Amino acid sequence: MTAQTNSIPIFEKLVENENFLKQKIGIGTSFDLGIRKVKVLKKEVHIYYCTGLCDTQYLVELLKQIVLINDHERQTAQAKQIIENRLVHQQVSPVENLDEAVDKLLSGLIIILIEGEASGFVVDVRSYPGRQPQEPDTEKVVRGARDGYVENIIVNTALTRRRIRDERLRFEIIQVGERSKTDICIAYIKDVADPGLVELVKKELQQIKIDGLTMGDKTVEEFLVKQGYNPYPLVRYTERPDVAATHLLEGHVLIMVDTSPSVIITPTTLFHHVQHAEEYRQNPAVGTFVRWVRFLGILASLFLLPLWTLFVIEPSLLPDKWAFIGPNKHTNIPVIVQIFIADFGIEFLRMAAIHTPTPLSTAMGLIAAVLIGQIAIDVGLFVPEVILYVSVAAIGSFATPSYELSIANKIARLLLALAVALFKVPGLIIGTTIYLLFLIRTRSLNTPYLWPFIPFDPAAFMQIVVRRSAAGSKVRPSIVHPQNRQKQPT
Amino acid sequence: MEQTKDNHHQLEQNKREQPMSLLMKVMITGFVGGVFWSSLGYLAYFFHFTELSPNMILHPWALGDWKYGKLGNYIAIFLIGLISILVAFIYYAFFKQMKSMWAGIFYGVALWFIVFYVLNPIFPNLQPVSELERNTIVTTICLYILYGVFIGYSISFEAQEMNRQTQMQATNE
Repeated sequence: MTAQTNSIPIFEKLVENENFLKQKIGIGTSFDLGIRKVKVLKKEVHIYYCTGLCDTQYLVELLKQIVLINDHERQTAQAKQIIENRLVHQQVSPVENLDEAVDKLLSGLIIILIEGEASGFVVDVRSYPGRQPQEPDTEKVVRGARDGYVENIIVNTALTRRRIRDERLRFEIIQVGERSKTDICIAYIKDVADPGLVELVKKELQQIKIDGLTMGDKTVEEFLVKQGYNPYPLVRYTERPDVAATHLLEGHVLIMVDTSPSVIITPTTLFHHVQHAEEYRQNPAVGTFVRWVRFLGILASLFLLPLWTLFVIEPSLLPDKWAFIGPNKHTNIPVIVQIFIADFGIEFLRMAAIHTPTPLSTAMGLIAAVLIGQIAIDVGLFVPEVILYVSVAAIGSFATPSYELSIANKIARLLLALAVALFKVPGLIIGTTIYLLFLIRTRSLNTPYLWPFIPFDPAAFMQIVVRRSAAGSKVRPSIVHPQNRQKQPT
Repeated sequence: MEQTKDNHHQLEQNKREQPMSLLMKVMITGFVGGVFWSSLGYLAYFFHFTELSPNMILHPWALGDWKYGKLGNYIAIFLIGLISILVAFIYYAFFKQMKSMWAGIFYGVALWFIVFYVLNPIFPNLQPVSELERNTIVTTICLYILYGVFIGYSISFEAQEMNRQTQMQATNE
């Protein structure tokens, strides 16, 4: 820590401390910072606090104990020791310099400074405003735990520790952000996770130079994976402690960022984004069925529209039995334009639904689905099939478990449709080839993005195709380079 | 732990999965790659993206009429899988140290040239490349590229992982 070498020690005179803090953090200017002055054993004692971040009840109890000293003790020479004893709280630590004290004060701890002493105490009476753990909206299951991560990193580590009581589970904490000083926790299991990956993640996190991480884990992700304008999600987020714990046991490294209710799972491949906790809450057979149907939906969200566009432009490509596909009547607007309009329409709806209050969004859905769709056909703007295929593709994207992936797929789908409209068959084939090569080339923290499909790993690929029973999946995925391959002890 | 030893060993969770050997992986990769990409080729033929279907490898042989139908294609897909094992081993023997994805792409393109130019006379229904449809050429080249990347990148990656593991063990000892 370079900050401590040129830091200012605590002055013995309380007035100097007070003046320094008034200047540095604006006590008296900012209303949420305050001092409580009491006299104990004929010595001034100052208690600095940050309202709103500390629990008043604890503070009152501590004050009571400190003031009571005057009734019971006589030895003024040992004031400091006596006060330390009377701080009835498990998290009391000494502090030597004012910069450290300021950091603690602004995180919600209280600082206790005593006249004539060059060191003070910090007591952790933090109580952050926040919500209780509740089921995350984006990862609901029919059965299973209903708790979810919240915006408080301490609660999040606790929720994880509740599931893994292993003595080898590690939560390393670092602070990032010159001004925000956000806590970031790196979680891994020491004898399972790849030490190289842990080192890499730590190094990348320490190199982050930014004033604040206001967007939480998303900001961290952008520093970590350096994705540029690649729309595909290179890390997986989860708000479910059970999903996070599963990945810890598989040898993944998790990154938790304070103030965000989701944790980052690294390393990630595309196939992490197409799985869902629900599959693991059902029978292996049912889980496999659900997964295949979901794969179908994701493939439809990608390739259905470009294929259909191609068949409309060149109906001769269709096998005879499939000749019914394609618009029956004359179209007023080129099909590709219709597709873009319809797809953007759904995008309007999706965006509007995010920030529309629930009662209004029901009405909005009705207007959009019934009125706009039907009338657009009636006035001859759309052919009915466009509505059908765009809707199926859109539902396919909603069936994608990862929200980020569904949007990336949407972009890919529109680009492919455009390539088809411009170049017909070669557009589709070359477009798809380039698309696949692009995904193959993508790497997230040195992990190939399409693993275990390309590069092919037979055993791991079977784990993707078939949801194995918990007793049957005995090895950890090799892509995380686990130190310990077997899930069960030997 | 009151169970008898025999019982204990029959539990599913107590069976050990042996890590697959590299050669075994190369073999499976070759077979799956051949079957998967030739199936996609059959799909492309179904939608008339290409005039060629997987059963073209059966044409040189005097077989029954079934070789032109669906059955012929399914058998051809399986046979391509078997041939593909050989292709995978050739890559393994000569190019497994190539790290880049480009090695796989060039391998696929080279395979395409071998099949469509060098081996062209073997296939009675395969016209010279200059007489093929543009769509056919584009579709087959792209399939061969993806197939080459599938084989090449998988084997190179697996070889790298093996190197990594042996290095790790060497440093640990």
